[in-house]
Amino acid sequence: MSKQLPRLTTGIPGMDEVLKGGFIEGASYIVQGQPGAGKTIFSNQVAFAAAAAGRKVLYVTLLAETHDRLFNVLSTLDYFDRDKLGTSIVYVSVFQTLRDEGLSAVVQLLRRETKRQDASLLVFDGLLNARDRADTDLDVKTFLAEVQSQAAFVGCTVLFLTSAQLGDGSPEHTMVDGVVELHDDLIGMRTVRQLQVRKSRGSGSLGGYHQYEITGQGLTVYPRLEAMLAYTSIEDQPEPGRVGTHVEGLDAMIGGGLPIGSVTLLFGPSGSGKTSLGLDFLDGSSPDEPGLLFGFYETPKRLLLKSQALGVPLDGHVESGSLEMICQPMTENLIDKLGRDLLAAVRRRGVKRLFIDGLGGFERAASYQPRLVEFFAALTNELRALGVTTIASWELRDLFGPHVAAPAHEISSLLDNLIMLRQVELESRYKRVISILKVRDGVFDPALHEIGFGNHGLKVALPLEPVTGAATGLARPLEQ
Amino acid sequence: MAMIVVAEDEFLLGDMLASILEDEGHEVAVAAHGAAALDLMRVHKPDLLITDFMMPLMTGLELATAVRKDDALKVIPIVLVSGAQGSIGRSHPDMFDAVLDKPYNAKQLVLAVQKLLDDRGAI
Repeated sequence: MSKQLPRLTTGIPGMDEVLKGGFIEGASYIVQGQPGAGKTIFSNQVAFAAAAAGRKVLYVTLLAETHDRLFNVLSTLDYFDRDKLGTSIVYVSVFQTLRDEGLSAVVQLLRRETKRQDASLLVFDGLLNARDRADTDLDVKTFLAEVQSQAAFVGCTVLFLTSAQLGDGSPEHTMVDGVVELHDDLIGMRTVRQLQVRKSRGSGSLGGYHQYEITGQGLTVYPRLEAMLAYTSIEDQPEPGRVGTHVEGLDAMIGGGLPIGSVTLLFGPSGSGKTSLGLDFLDGSSPDEPGLLFGFYETPKRLLLKSQALGVPLDGHVESGSLEMICQPMTENLIDKLGRDLLAAVRRRGVKRLFIDGLGGFERAASYQPRLVEFFAALTNELRALGVTTIASWELRDLFGPHVAAPAHEISSLLDNLIMLRQVELESRYKRVISILKVRDGVFDPALHEIGFGNHGLKVALPLEPVTGAATGLARPLEQ
Repeated sequence: MAMIVVAEDEFLLGDMLASILEDEGHEVAVAAHGAAALDLMRVHKPDLLITDFMMPLMTGLELATAVRKDDALKVIPIVLVSGAQGSIGRSHPDMFDAVLDKPYNAKQLVLAVQKLLDDRGAI
């Protein structure tokens, strides 16, 4: 029977998940990162969360900005509470002791003050200075060991902050229980903030990089979705039954509707009608079947106008609360934040009908493309387990052409159903065509059908006349 | 020309404070925390004490309390210079003769110091 060690919550959204519960009480951690990476904001966020939970915090600095300047900077953050200063969180400097008396004297001072303040969290900002003062690596190790041991004895968690680029074999790393490294990386043209837990004694942690943001609320960490949801959060309980697409004539093509909780990829080139089909699908939203549109291309207002033009005005659903539209412009996004926001919106309202317009928005937001298969696997598995029937659109690269490039290889196999929309050039006209390529565990009509805009949304019409090459958009009549 | 003890854990601030006061012709001794400041006061019997609030081992309030309890030191005027605890200083007028909020400017400080020294009869 394994034991769970008591934890100190970090107070940083997403960070407890990365540490699989938060810091371990009485343990010591190094928080390292270049200036500007966010160590001060990180450690103060932890401090103010601890103070809010009724704990005493001792924040020790060496040679840094004055405390007054620090408070000015922190006052721009939501978590800052001036009343906590000098009461729950005590900020002191021990530089003179370090300079005039050395490391051992600093240790004594820290020990006495931690006890005096009855602190259960000690933040020590300036490990780099301590290292400079040390004559040997052993001095550094001794310093850390002495501070740690007393802190552990009184159950005080310690965060050592440093801007040194300490390697894995450094004396500092070997002494502490955990190491959190903050990066501000340049990837292509943009900077991406990422953190990594490089060591975590006494607990597992989510390894690798996790992206984070610094806003007026301080740090928010977005754990890598495929690491956090390696397995679904609840058990997958598949339900038999179908969900109507609300597109006239389409349900008949796919055996009565989409299987409940399935994920459908709707792909086709620009202008083929993907968004329209999705809006039609969302017309099926109701209080019992809450709907969600998670899009990247058009604003909610524009989408509502489009739905009106289509003949399926969605305003009523939005006003009644049956439908929510979340639209994120396809600018510089963080993929795990998108995933988190989507799942949060699904869970918040118990969403049953989801239209993602389109998966490309997630793809573009990944700073490391090779992880997309795992990301989509985690995302779609979670949506299935939550019983959400999802249609996700995907834009085909070529409007016309011999290659029908399905989404990045292996992603199609993650999805249950594949529906393709094409514009086919025939007799000097473009005909809109829909075809079903796959319905997992179900029958479907394999014929290509024309699809048009009726008075109330899309309408599947006659099977397309016999031609070859329709799938590429460049059809040729069959040889007579 | 007076003898002033400064209690300030932030090295840069203590240093700057000492410079400002020395420029005015005073003699200054800086302590890095309250306990060391109390020792300095017992040794020098200064004309004035300027203290920070948050310091290791002994806060500014604890220092002022200790000074007021000591018969040899209790009449020495005490100035509190604080970033966040100015209000605590002002609610203890028996402890602190003047309270300056950080950031203060040099002129304000010099004037406050001069006034207290004049009141006390020191030059």
